[in-house]
Amino acid sequence: MRYCFSFFIVAVVALGQQRNFVSCPIVRDTKTVPCFLAEYEGETYYLGIQQDITSEFHPPQLKHEVLVEGRVAAGPRVCGGIPLQPVTVSVLKEVNLACNTLLPAEPGIEAPPAPRGPGPSSRRAEPSRSRETFTGAHEFTVLYSFNDDYLEYAANQIVTEAAAYAKRIGASSVKVSGYGATTLLSNGDRLVEKAGLAEKRAQNMATLLRGLGVAGVTVSWKNEPEPGDGQTDASRRRVAILVTP
Amino acid sequence: MRRLSLVVIFIATIALTLSAQYQDRSKVTWIEPNSGAVLPEFDAFDSNEGTLGVVNASGPVKTEGHAFFTALGTNGRACVNCHQPTYGMSVSATALLERWKQTDGKDPVFAAFDGSNCPGLPQDKESSHSLLLKRGLFRIPLQWPPKNADGSPKPVEFSIEVVRDPAGCNTSPQFGLKSADPTISVYRRPRPAANLKYVVSGGRPIVLKTGMLADVDPETKSPVAMNLMSDAREATLQTQALSAIMGHEQAKVSPSRKQIEQIVEYESQVYAAQAAHIFGGPLAVPGGPAALGPVALRDHKAGVLGDNDYDPVFGSFNSWKGTDYYRASVARGADIFMFRQFWLRDTAHINSIGLGNPLKRTCATCHNAQMTGQDLSAGWVDVGTTNYPTWTEPATWADSSELPVFKITCSRDADPHPYLGRVIYTTDPGRALISGRCVDVGSIVMQQLRGLSARAPYFANGSAKTLREVVDFYDRRFDMKLTDGEKEDLINFLGVL
Repeated sequence: MRYCFSFFIVAVVALGQQRNFVSCPIVRDTKTVPCFLAEYEGETYYLGIQQDITSEFHPPQLKHEVLVEGRVAAGPRVCGGIPLQPVTVSVLKEVNLACNTLLPAEPGIEAPPAPRGPGPSSRRAEPSRSRETFTGAHEFTVLYSFNDDYLEYAANQIVTEAAAYAKRIGASSVKVSGYGATTLLSNGDRLVEKAGLAEKRAQNMATLLRGLGVAGVTVSWKNEPEPGDGQTDASRRRVAILVTP
Repeated sequence: MRRLSLVVIFIATIALTLSAQYQDRSKVTWIEPNSGAVLPEFDAFDSNEGTLGVVNASGPVKTEGHAFFTALGTNGRACVNCHQPTYGMSVSATALLERWKQTDGKDPVFAAFDGSNCPGLPQDKESSHSLLLKRGLFRIPLQWPPKNADGSPKPVEFSIEVVRDPAGCNTSPQFGLKSADPTISVYRRPRPAANLKYVVSGGRPIVLKTGMLADVDPETKSPVAMNLMSDAREATLQTQALSAIMGHEQAKVSPSRKQIEQIVEYESQVYAAQAAHIFGGPLAVPGGPAALGPVALRDHKAGVLGDNDYDPVFGSFNSWKGTDYYRASVARGADIFMFRQFWLRDTAHINSIGLGNPLKRTCATCHNAQMTGQDLSAGWVDVGTTNYPTWTEPATWADSSELPVFKITCSRDADPHPYLGRVIYTTDPGRALISGRCVDVGSIVMQQLRGLSARAPYFANGSAKTLREVVDFYDRRFDMKLTDGEKEDLINFLGVL
């Protein structure tokens, strides 16, 4: 009955609807790992669960607001929130002490199965992936959180892969292009990344590639942040690395 | 009465067991430079709660003419002054106080340059060395702003202001921030120069915590682990040795390459850990926990992640469960370390690197490297020991603290400290004094957890006199809600490492 009701709610907030908003995250403890939620216009959305550093979902942080960019997904509520999938969360840099809601575990509210629980890991290390098998010119894309130039673990792997490919083929050119972007929020407001971020992302990336032994790196950036369309904004905060044989 | 008898039996067992493997050198507590002593392959020293074992993996070490044991500078000091085998290759505050009394403050360890609160103070007074004598803290003078390898100033994201300066060094016209050579003086414990294969292992090209390139070995150009020293300012044991000789030993002439290599060779083969405990008896025995004792450190592979339930950080203590009171307590402490969940909160470079804040995990999440409990990735973390309000100094203004207090103001363009914002009060900015980054303020490289009983006080600022105070800090900081029994178990566990 509870799940039927949940389906009804999802239908009301429009399945597939993009939700872009800024709010304080909410942490909901469970018997296993905590869930991360956020409220917008009176509704609670489920963002994800605590995972490992290697996961694609990096949870938000208390003491900070979070920019949520996600699509309303089908399925029952998770941890009391409407699931957003795919979802991108960006921790906004300035400290906000008002963002401090940690809810205790409650009967009936359970986190989805977690690849790793809250204790030490039970998973054995997976064998390292086989070497990249790209051929010809290949563009690697590294995505960033809003207003951020920190290279998260997954991005770190992409850079390593790009460097390995460039070195293996003796690339004739490695072009690094940095971009900043605008996010069109669901309430119509626009959030624009800070000036100079595209350059900083690009220069940092070039430094990394050179440090990893890649020769012939050239750098460019687009000073004007990409316009926001409210749908694909998270994918525009990026650095592109074009490796040409 | 029965317990007393058991204790006597344990102590007798320790003596008998150690006499077979280790030479009895409990009378030697301080090795002076140029002493000419020969250090055996297996050595043992009285420690606070039993016996510290020290292993020289390459065999007996002749100290005569050896660069680690020879004063190479102008103040009579050698490396061994601050890295004594007796004290787990560090030095305890108690030992320093004894040394002061024995030598009337004339031992070179009390050199004005960094063995006193400030070189300008009257050096014959005990009060001028109070930070060393009470907390085991040496003065670390660091140029501000920091410099690149080519001597150019590094860009910095914050301004720094001295708001309290009990020792007078940071406001000194000669030695301070506004001197001709602007310098920040912070006060830190010497780290153990043992078990170093673990400390230097695990260099990766990109630092997980910053997303930036790791420092490289200036000779091999390979990335380094960046886990040396409190602030990772030295890339390798070689550069650290050189820097220590030119700084702590105040050498006027650079040491030879051979001398540096001799120091590094010695440091790379010496292992120190608790070998026996007054209640636990000999620790490294067949069928017991495999990680205990210095021989285990010598033989184990470095660079292995232990934050897992199948091959934990310090191995399994299950064989001690259900045995005598003390060993059972240690085994429970090991379980608390590995499995007791709590909310890790507001810790820069842990919660802020994509793991979320708060993070429901255990001690082993951060102390994850097998055998030492350091962090396998470059391990500087702001656990809160130096930054207000969680710092280990009195919570409110008090004259009892002798550490300086700095006000850090981050620029508007910089990323702020993730949990303290743009204005931070700190007794030691830590890694930020090297990186110039606001997010690093208060971040200190994690220490290894071996040989703890021999080298109190703890934390980089020497603020915890006992392991109880260490555990109390974490209990408070992360609201762990440990019971007194759990605290005792955790302390007993840490005490046998």
